[in-house]
Amino acid sequence: MLRRAKGNWTYFVIAALLLFSILIPFDWFLGRYTGLVILIGISTMVTVGLCLLMGYTGQVSLGQAAFYGTGAYVSAILSKTYGVNPWLAMLIAALATGAFAYVIGYPTFRLRGNYLAMATLGLGVIMWILFRQLSQYTGGPDGMAGIPYLSIGGFVFNTPFKRYFLVWLFCLVILLVSQNIVRSRAGRALRAIHGSEAAAESIGINVTQFKVKIFVLSAVYASLAGSLFAHHLRHVSPQSFDFMASVKLVVMAVIGGLASVWGAIFGAATTRILSDELLLRFGELDVIVYGLILILVMIFMPEGLFVKLKDVIAQWRLRYEQRGTKT
Amino acid sequence: MSADQFAQYLVSGITQGSIYALVALGFTIIYAVTKIINFAQGEFVMLGGMLSFTLAHSAGMPLVLSLPLSVLSTAVIGTILYILAIRTARKASVVSLIIVTIGAAILIRGLAAQLWGVGAVRPPFFTGDEPIPFLGALIRPQALWIIGTSLVATVVLHLFLSYTMMGKALKASAISQVAAAMVGIDTRLMALCAFAIAAALGAIGGVVMSPLTLTAYNVGVMLGLKGFVAASIGGFKSPLAAVIGGITLGVVESLAVGVDWGPFTSAYKDAIAIILLLLILLLRSGSLAAEERAG
Amino acid sequence: MSESILEARGLGKTFGGLVALDRLDLAIEKGRITAVIGPNGAGKTTLFNLIAGVYSATTGEIRFQGMPVNHIPAHKRTAMGIARTFQNILLFGNMTVLENVMTGQHPRSSYGFLEAALRLPKAHREEETISLKAMRYLNLVGLGMYAQQEATSLPLGQQKLLGIARALATDPKLLLLDEPGAGLTTLEKRALADLIHRLSEMGISVLLVEHDMPLVMGIAQWVVVLDSGQKIAEGTAAQVQKDQRVISAYLGEEIE
Repeated sequence: MLRRAKGNWTYFVIAALLLFSILIPFDWFLGRYTGLVILIGISTMVTVGLCLLMGYTGQVSLGQAAFYGTGAYVSAILSKTYGVNPWLAMLIAALATGAFAYVIGYPTFRLRGNYLAMATLGLGVIMWILFRQLSQYTGGPDGMAGIPYLSIGGFVFNTPFKRYFLVWLFCLVILLVSQNIVRSRAGRALRAIHGSEAAAESIGINVTQFKVKIFVLSAVYASLAGSLFAHHLRHVSPQSFDFMASVKLVVMAVIGGLASVWGAIFGAATTRILSDELLLRFGELDVIVYGLILILVMIFMPEGLFVKLKDVIAQWRLRYEQRGTKT
Repeated sequence: MSADQFAQYLVSGITQGSIYALVALGFTIIYAVTKIINFAQGEFVMLGGMLSFTLAHSAGMPLVLSLPLSVLSTAVIGTILYILAIRTARKASVVSLIIVTIGAAILIRGLAAQLWGVGAVRPPFFTGDEPIPFLGALIRPQALWIIGTSLVATVVLHLFLSYTMMGKALKASAISQVAAAMVGIDTRLMALCAFAIAAALGAIGGVVMSPLTLTAYNVGVMLGLKGFVAASIGGFKSPLAAVIGGITLGVVESLAVGVDWGPFTSAYKDAIAIILLLLILLLRSGSLAAEERAG
Repeated sequence: MSESILEARGLGKTFGGLVALDRLDLAIEKGRITAVIGPNGAGKTTLFNLIAGVYSATTGEIRFQGMPVNHIPAHKRTAMGIARTFQNILLFGNMTVLENVMTGQHPRSSYGFLEAALRLPKAHREEETISLKAMRYLNLVGLGMYAQQEATSLPLGQQKLLGIARALATDPKLLLLDEPGAGLTTLEKRALADLIHRLSEMGISVLLVEHDMPLVMGIAQWVVVLDSGQKIAEGTAAQVQKDQRVISAYLGEEIE
């Protein structure tokens, strides 16, 4: 009886959250935060990929902003300068970014050392340089504006209200797809790799190939997010895709939990809100806070903040139930 | 390019490369002893320069005091980093440790931005700035200090590792932590030393280069990246390869900027190191050794 | 004379200056239980890892069912039919007992990221097969009732059995067991011996590296003795026990 009650409780919570999120963009509710929540949704898409990457390959990407930026710029350039259909541009961007990630990832993951961090850091720097230097295409350090809206038929996503649902639809799809993967044969293989690479190899898992696949997946997620970002703000500039942008993404993933899927929302939300608040009050101090978060979370909760929170809550619930059965 | 110009670029390349070499040595020492990639390595260089500026400029300390003090303070900071962050996370996975050093790097960077602001600073030159003619090139005296100090530091390090008890213990730890522990070497002390030495090397680089190249709160990242590239040429095991790698990178960068490549301006200079890194990854990855598992 | 499932000719492995294995010739007969014994440092683990594909040979070649496998990586060898267990088990701690065995079915299934992401019917079908087969192997080693428990909650003896079940789930033709008896009680060792016999009856060739003499002599149909990287004797258990070279190699070694 208790177990069914617990199951019902979970459905109730999910339904409540769903209702809550659908109501957010309405002016009479939390409408003034719609822009922020859209950005949280976009960040979540990138963060999920990063969480999976760090959780299952044991390596860090310090250049996710490169993939994010590539998606944004390719979408922007193709749709504005060349009049390509924005959806097609988004697809092209995702494919290009994925190919990019494959080319970088394959040699990097074959090696025994931990080269991904520096390789991606370098990649992030190169892309940032390109975004700034290829001003003929990218608009240089000031970036480019006037990026068209996304639209389906006659329906144009020209208000934050409409874009909110579009972005979170994408985000939800990505979260569900990621969850499906984690629970599948591929997910088992990834968890096996996380558990013991030697044992995973011994049962026929091509460890390198899986790591590369996850890396490519994370790049595609980031690219899609970047494209949505471009069509949301309608303006892209290199500052959004520099080294600190990549670091912030790592902070989101660390808070959300390595190898966690839904925790990414928590990580993205906390970091975005934190970063806005901090920047408002203290200027450049946000970097110091990020550094501290990374250090402290990794030392005391290496699985990530969200995962640790879930554990703590589960323990409380257990204690609560035990007390119930005792009386 | 004329021979004079070539000589000029060569000298400036060796100068810059010496700094990369020091950073690379720092990476190599820490990795060899602890198997950790220390992302804060570039920040040690920044700190060396910043501290020497404050001590010499704001505090008015004579160079003979401010320089060693800057290096020492940075070494202490490196030790603190090890004790507070790394040692506490000892049992943690490689991912965690990398993230911890990244966190430390941006923490140091953020604190530097708060303490020194975002502008560039220039500590005073050691012996003035009158260019000295040499083989068709004009060398600024500070550049000679850079090359000379790096050389001396490298030699001293080599002597230390080969002829002192502590140095040999460090080498032993680098070869095998288990074996070193078995003969009574305190591996935690060795790790601490590795961090202190790496921080000192970085700081020496920073102290000696910042009068020439200026320094600011954000120079750490690119310096760290370039030092990493140099160190990876030696597979993070060979100090000699690290030094050669560093100097080579400096020279290549310098010559690439000098030669007129058409659309590629000096803004692309940073990209050279990265492309080199990617090439190294590709080459290394192609060899069978990539997948060999150790006993 | 039955055919060999695995042949090694002139097989050698050198680490830096150390010669771990020196030009070994070996033939493992199909369907037989072969044991490799020898004092510590004899090269047993090296041989094991060479066959499994963890190390690449410095000299010589290995042929599996007639095909040369020298340059084939470990995970591909598993797909070809060579499975192995680990001395320190290396279970996947983040999964249940059943899930551990299910991972073993990886080379015998094929649905990937796409089918998983979209929950295509192929994924469902294969998952069912995977669970069924995994359960079968779990029952074979006698751990069926623990299917839903966390893998790390099992005691050592049962963890070792789980490791074997996982390797079995790859449907191997040759099973390499790395010191399966280490750390087991007498009762558990007897159960292990029974299991190995059953596997042999099922047609799986078994190669085991083991220190426990009674266990080896009880089940091995063929014994190969190594010392200092070289083969010093081979034959039936009875023959090897009486061999003078074997006895002197073990002098100073504790014979259990």
